[in-house]
Amino acid sequence: MEYVIEVENLTKSFGNNEVLREVSLKVKRGESYVVIGGSGSGKSVLIKCILGLIEPTSGVIKINGKDVAQLSQKELFKTRLKCAVLYQGGALFDSLSVIENVSFGLIYGLHVPQKEAYRIALEKLEAVDLDKSVANIYPAELSGGMSKRVALARAIATNPDIIFLDEPTTGLDPITSGIINDLIVRCTKEMGISAVSITHDINSLKHISDRVGLLFKGKIIWEGTNKELIATDDPYVVQFINGNLNGPFTATS
Amino acid sequence: MFAQMQIMVKYLVWRLFWLGDMILDRIGHLFIKFLCSIGSITLFSARAIVSGFMPPYYWKQIFHQAVQIGYFSLPVVGMTALFTGMAMTLQCYAGFSEFTAENAIPSVVMIAMTRELGPVLAALMVAGRLGAAMTAEIGTMKVTEQIDALTTLSVNSYKYLVFPRILTGTFLVPFLVLIDDIIGILGGYLVGVYYLNFNAANYIRNTLESMVTWDIVSGLIKGSVFGFVICLMGCYHGYFSKGGAEGVGRATTNSVVASSIMILLLDGVLTFVLF
Repeated sequence: MEYVIEVENLTKSFGNNEVLREVSLKVKRGESYVVIGGSGSGKSVLIKCILGLIEPTSGVIKINGKDVAQLSQKELFKTRLKCAVLYQGGALFDSLSVIENVSFGLIYGLHVPQKEAYRIALEKLEAVDLDKSVANIYPAELSGGMSKRVALARAIATNPDIIFLDEPTTGLDPITSGIINDLIVRCTKEMGISAVSITHDINSLKHISDRVGLLFKGKIIWEGTNKELIATDDPYVVQFINGNLNGPFTATS
Repeated sequence: MFAQMQIMVKYLVWRLFWLGDMILDRIGHLFIKFLCSIGSITLFSARAIVSGFMPPYYWKQIFHQAVQIGYFSLPVVGMTALFTGMAMTLQCYAGFSEFTAENAIPSVVMIAMTRELGPVLAALMVAGRLGAAMTAEIGTMKVTEQIDALTTLSVNSYKYLVFPRILTGTFLVPFLVLIDDIIGILGGYLVGVYYLNFNAANYIRNTLESMVTWDIVSGLIKGSVFGFVICLMGCYHGYFSKGGAEGVGRATTNSVVASSIMILLLDGVLTFVLF
């Protein structure tokens, strides 16, 4: 079985605060893996560690079979070109127009000529159901849903192998969330991209996940397929999915 | 009674030692923090400079920063220089006229503007206008994950964000200093000739006679150093800002304060070295 991401015994501490405790997970090529968990459980830190934005305290992270810690800066940049991220707030560059944002990775990362990069960017905007007329407007003029679509277009513009989605539907109304979920599934399945997402949104989770891992106190305590998630009687999963007040999750945990 | 006094003295001595220990501890802590900051700033600037000289080069970013620093700072720098030159001439006249030394005014304005006021005022204005803007912009990019986005798009954030600013700051603040010198001297001329009724030809002759190339060059050297420091502080504080809008605000204040202090401190050091 070919894995695009392999995380083994990943631990990350900030001072005395151990955020991740020996987390292990594997993501197959073309698979959509969703990490769920309460606020502060370490989901974002996990993704940042995989991307090399935060240095782990211990453990091994492999992307496409390469140990990230062993890579030189140049190799790390090359590996990152195969990864894309859809940030929670979009993280669009305020000073650049929509088309400049979408073509940014192509021009500065892959060194594609500007004309060609703009052509690809317009294609990607179309792929996320955005009209060409938005190309020249600035992120401040976009609605939340449109920002997410532009960010998704920017993420898929470089034809990545893996896409990381950080709470892709946060702050969106249910209909826009549904549209974004649909776009994520369509883009990842059509392009054969593996996806690692973190979300609190149960609808989104059911829609976009092939496999799910529940992170609790820095440890993955449950892992299973989308179908197993619905069928399981694990008290943690049941409480999280149903949003029950009573159960192993407490306000302090 | 004696025993009680002995206990009191012992207690006072103990408290004194405790206080001394606490003060030393605090001073030591601050000193270590200061050294850490210097190390961190040095590494930050080294990373930016080394990455900036490696291809590919982001010319568009460098040009954009050049316009921001060189062109858009001109009005504020020019206005400051003009009024400083004017005020200085008036102040000198009030003092010099008592000794009938009015003829020295053009020379004093010339020397003061080129050696000190030109570089320091231009730098302080740039620190207030651009240093703050740099910190706010980079800080906002940091807290909204835009810098992370740059990294994940395989773009070196030091090379893309920091180097163009440091480079243009280092080379364009001297240009602003030169403009500042010229406008400041012009301000002095306007007040001298049109308000204090100096002879225009004499004023210009006195000004030109007191012009020394090294005064101007030293001002430009100072400008270059100040430009580097302003942009470095602006980028550094923005890059390491945290804690949302409040954190960015705090970083912006720190950046302007640090730049201003550094400008005045380095002005003293450079004056000592250059003259």
